[in-house]
Amino acid sequence: MLKYIKKYWHWCLLAPIFMLGEITMDLWQPDLMATIVDDGVIGQNMSIILTIGVKMILLVLFGGFCGIMSGVFANFAAQYFGNDLRKDLFGRIMDLSFEQTDKISTGSLITRITNDVTQVQNVVMLSIRSVVRSTAMFLGGIYMLYRQSPRFAVVVACGLPFVVAIVVFFMKKAAPMFAVVQEKLDGVNNVMQEDIAGARVVKAYVKEDYELSRFDNANDALYGINLKVQSLLAFMSPGMNIVLNLCVVGIIYIGGMTVQNSGSVTTGEIIAAITYVGLILNSVMFMANLFQTITRAKASAARINEVLNCERVITGGGYAESSDRRGEVEFKHVKFAYPNSGGREVLEDINLTVRRGETLAVLGATGSGKTSLINLIPRFYDVTEGEVLVDGVDVREYDLTALRDKIAVVLQKAELYSRPIEANIRWGKADATPWEIKSAAEIAQADDFICATPNGYYTQVTEGGHSLSGGQKQRISIARAVLKDPEILIFDDSSSALDLKTEAKLYAALKKECPDTTKIIIAQRIASVKDANRIAIIDGGRITACGTHEELLKTSPIYRDIYNSQLKKGGEIDA
Amino acid sequence: MREQKHNPGEVPAGFEHTQTSEASYRKVEQKKTQQMEFGPRGGPGRNMGQTIEKPKAVQKTISRLLKYFENEKKLLWLLVISVVAATLASLAAPAMQGDAIDRITKLEWSGFGQLLIVLLIVYFVYTGCTLAQMLISAHLSQRIVQKMRHDLFRKIDNLPIKYLDTHSNGDVMSRMTNDVENISNTVSQSMSSLISGILTILGTIAIMSWYCWQLTLITMATVVITVVVTKKLSSVMRRIYKKRAQVLGRLNGHSEEMITGYKSIVAYSRQKDVVSEFNATSDELTKVGIKAEILGGSMGPIMNCISNIGFVIVAAFGGYFALTGLITVGTISAFIIYARQFSRPINMIAQLYGSVQTAMAGAERVFELIDQPDEDNSGDRNLEKVTGEISFKDVDFSYIPDKQVLYKFDLDIKPGQKIALVGATGSGKTTVVNLLMRFYDVDSGEIQIDGVNIKDIKRDELRHNVAIVLQDTVLFSDTIERNIKYANLDASDEQMRYAAEMSNSVYFIERLPEQYQTFLKHAGANLSHGQRQLLAIARVVLADPKILVLDEATSSVDTRTEKHIQDAMVNLMKNRTSLIIAHRLSTIQDADKIVVMDQGRVVESGNHEELLAQKSRYYSLYMTQFAGNQI
Repeated sequence: MLKYIKKYWHWCLLAPIFMLGEITMDLWQPDLMATIVDDGVIGQNMSIILTIGVKMILLVLFGGFCGIMSGVFANFAAQYFGNDLRKDLFGRIMDLSFEQTDKISTGSLITRITNDVTQVQNVVMLSIRSVVRSTAMFLGGIYMLYRQSPRFAVVVACGLPFVVAIVVFFMKKAAPMFAVVQEKLDGVNNVMQEDIAGARVVKAYVKEDYELSRFDNANDALYGINLKVQSLLAFMSPGMNIVLNLCVVGIIYIGGMTVQNSGSVTTGEIIAAITYVGLILNSVMFMANLFQTITRAKASAARINEVLNCERVITGGGYAESSDRRGEVEFKHVKFAYPNSGGREVLEDINLTVRRGETLAVLGATGSGKTSLINLIPRFYDVTEGEVLVDGVDVREYDLTALRDKIAVVLQKAELYSRPIEANIRWGKADATPWEIKSAAEIAQADDFICATPNGYYTQVTEGGHSLSGGQKQRISIARAVLKDPEILIFDDSSSALDLKTEAKLYAALKKECPDTTKIIIAQRIASVKDANRIAIIDGGRITACGTHEELLKTSPIYRDIYNSQLKKGGEIDA
Repeated sequence: MREQKHNPGEVPAGFEHTQTSEASYRKVEQKKTQQMEFGPRGGPGRNMGQTIEKPKAVQKTISRLLKYFENEKKLLWLLVISVVAATLASLAAPAMQGDAIDRITKLEWSGFGQLLIVLLIVYFVYTGCTLAQMLISAHLSQRIVQKMRHDLFRKIDNLPIKYLDTHSNGDVMSRMTNDVENISNTVSQSMSSLISGILTILGTIAIMSWYCWQLTLITMATVVITVVVTKKLSSVMRRIYKKRAQVLGRLNGHSEEMITGYKSIVAYSRQKDVVSEFNATSDELTKVGIKAEILGGSMGPIMNCISNIGFVIVAAFGGYFALTGLITVGTISAFIIYARQFSRPINMIAQLYGSVQTAMAGAERVFELIDQPDEDNSGDRNLEKVTGEISFKDVDFSYIPDKQVLYKFDLDIKPGQKIALVGATGSGKTTVVNLLMRFYDVDSGEIQIDGVNIKDIKRDELRHNVAIVLQDTVLFSDTIERNIKYANLDASDEQMRYAAEMSNSVYFIERLPEQYQTFLKHAGANLSHGQRQLLAIARVVLADPKILVLDEATSSVDTRTEKHIQDAMVNLMKNRTSLIIAHRLSTIQDADKIVVMDQGRVVESGNHEELLAQKSRYYSLYMTQFAGNQI
């Protein structure tokens, strides 16, 4: 984190310098005030009052200027620091491998970039301005007080330990509670979020009252901890205040006694001393607050660092062959286990070759390893053993972009962005013409419904694509993949929300328009895969059979089983 | 993809719409420095742009906010008493200090000790009262916020589905989190400050006038300057702060969307574009942020300047008056303290102004939601013994006016029948379910259960008798046991186990280390889609309804597992009326009646054999599914 602020050291330096100017003026001023009182008022000298008064106003204006300038420089430092940090963090997040985003949830990544960066930035800002300010105020105040009379300094020396004790005591007690507050707040948000998302189920089961009681539990817990924290902290500032006031009384008393006994202290000096005591103790309170903010920001900084220190697990090799367009995929003795799963193998000894232009369907039960298999091709994850070859070269030797340029994956869950449909499809190829976009949409069977919307291709997709049905979202993401015109097109169960007729049209169009593209299609429905060149059956992480529909019907009991389960009584028609 | 030739200037169908939006969109694409500004976005910053807006109907909002204080009268009085006492103490203390200093100047030592003791007591009273004041405001604000959250949630709980479908979830959530939090902060921090601030100002003026009205008038001049400067600065600040909130909202929205949709970015190697887009917004935010912060940061020094100038003015004139014998030196000392005391509440009120406005805007948004009408609950008829007969009579329905979804929909279902709805996406199948559950109400026509219009049936009664399993599984962050027992929390463990067996979820549940006590984190995100669906089905088994609705319930389960579930379903559906929506025709071949829908109309109905024999819609659907080659 330090290296980010280093870059702006000149501003970090200028800010305190100007700040010192401001503080000097602040500290000087009670002294001038004392002169006005002692020499001007008591000494009955109006010209002293006026000359010193003018001097004071000029100093005050200069102090104000310094104050503003120090703010400006502190701002430059903090804002540019925050900006750099934010950009690096985002860039790093975009660079993470899937296994890392699996570990740190996306929700948490979002808070890190939106919340934590702001927290850290605020602390930097506050630190530049306040650390110097309060330290200088504190030391300067003590010095000025000592100059008025060393006896006054003794009063403050007696008060200070109490102030420090109060600060330490409350900080220690409150710090762990802040984490609990956050946790309880999450609790309230969770119940609400679940309830809004699952409103249909809550209503269908007539559970409104139950949900309300669930919410009230969370709400009461939040109320309890909040009250506890606030009540605790309520003691802090009155506690410090009373110490401050005791010091004031002490100064008046000692001042009075000194005047009575030796007369070595003047009235003006007593007034000035009271002001300095206020400055000193206020600066301590300020430091206490700063300390509290820094403690809280420490957690944020740690969360940011965790991401920044993530070295990307999957890095590309140097191979970037481009002109030769083939699209062959080969799995050789591939074994795979998810990185954070403790070595439980999802794929065991997979051997499979997909030829150019071939359509390979992958069929299997939920959790059998279909998605894991295709994730290995664009290197979303790396094999644990064996190798995956694209066009005869191990995927690990490819430059990552070169590899992924050859491949388009349509994910199980369509990911759309809040921009026009046109831009969502264009995601696949940034410089596509409207004609290309339209023909990709036609192949994906999306053109009809897009044209039926009021703004056609410029219809805005809402956040997360909520304005579209599941089938429409899938078709837009298919169009995106088709537009990319990849050598290898992978569908991860991505036509499941289409009705069969549309799906059949989609596959027919793909076959006709993209004959050279290698297609790997994961599906649940026999009808979706029946026409594939080959169908691979995955069961328990192994390919148990691979062949055409007809072959599999004869040789694979699992395929027959699936076939019958979908066909049931319909068998007689097909036979 | 095959290449096609086109005339230059020709625009493909679907692209001719709204050239303006295209133009603006292009601009954004080309100039990456600018950011997208399309439509509403989510993210924590979403509502920040509105926070400093001037609230409408302020008085009404205030009076409604005050209602929340109605039950807290005792505390409120205590608060006022402690604030008044603290303010009086804080006003008395400088006077006594001045008195003490006067005595030092005049070398009058009689009663000096007593005076200091009284001063000490005053300070203790002040401290005690501030403590009381802080504790009371903590209680007040937390209680009020607790109540407000409760009210808000009860409303959310009872909102019609239509509201939730048409409003962004993030927006509803942010009312509960951001807006309520803003109100809470303001109540806890500002209320007592406001009371004490006003009291301090009035009290200070009174005491100062009593000492020396001339000097008071002079002091007031600095107040006027303070007020004018604050007003000027805050109006500029509001504009820039608002701008910053907007850019921040955009940045947050962008990062939220991109991080959530991260997989497609990686898959399409679009990281560079996305990052440069982000960086542009981030730079913009920094620019606005610097402006805003410099302005905000200047407020302090400027106020400091003004108050110090006030200080000099008081000193100069005070000195002059002291010379002329109008006042004593002690009075000057008191005045200096009062003048400081004076500028503090004014600065504070100026700063509070913003936070009060934010809170008011928040309160308005909270009340706006609370004012939404509840779901209709006017039906009062109980169903005695439900047989499960359902009939739709001439039902017309549209979600948005002019976009009709169902046209004269007619359907009669006899008790115990198994009815299947099939048809393309968007043909209106799910709408039928929405209407039956009264998530939405028909535009015209009626739906009857056992011959009673469902609008006349008690809403809870209706829903107790109908159970649904949805395509998107909803689970709650709770134990598996409580998720299965959701319909009936008093169900016995045997019943639960039976439900798990019936739904085939027993196998995976009992393999989990804590079995039924396994806590589902993040609403079951750690389960596979299929497993989640099995649990949802187990939940229905326990609900034991008369009417069962399955809306694509098994679409995420692989077909072999689906078959197991279906075998169990045969038992479950006995003696129940069931309505099934499915893509896979295999699921519904044995239905008593299959209804084929197209664009909101029933186009065919009959059983599997009859429909096949007709060789029409159903037949072609069936053939595409199983034969695959005929389209």
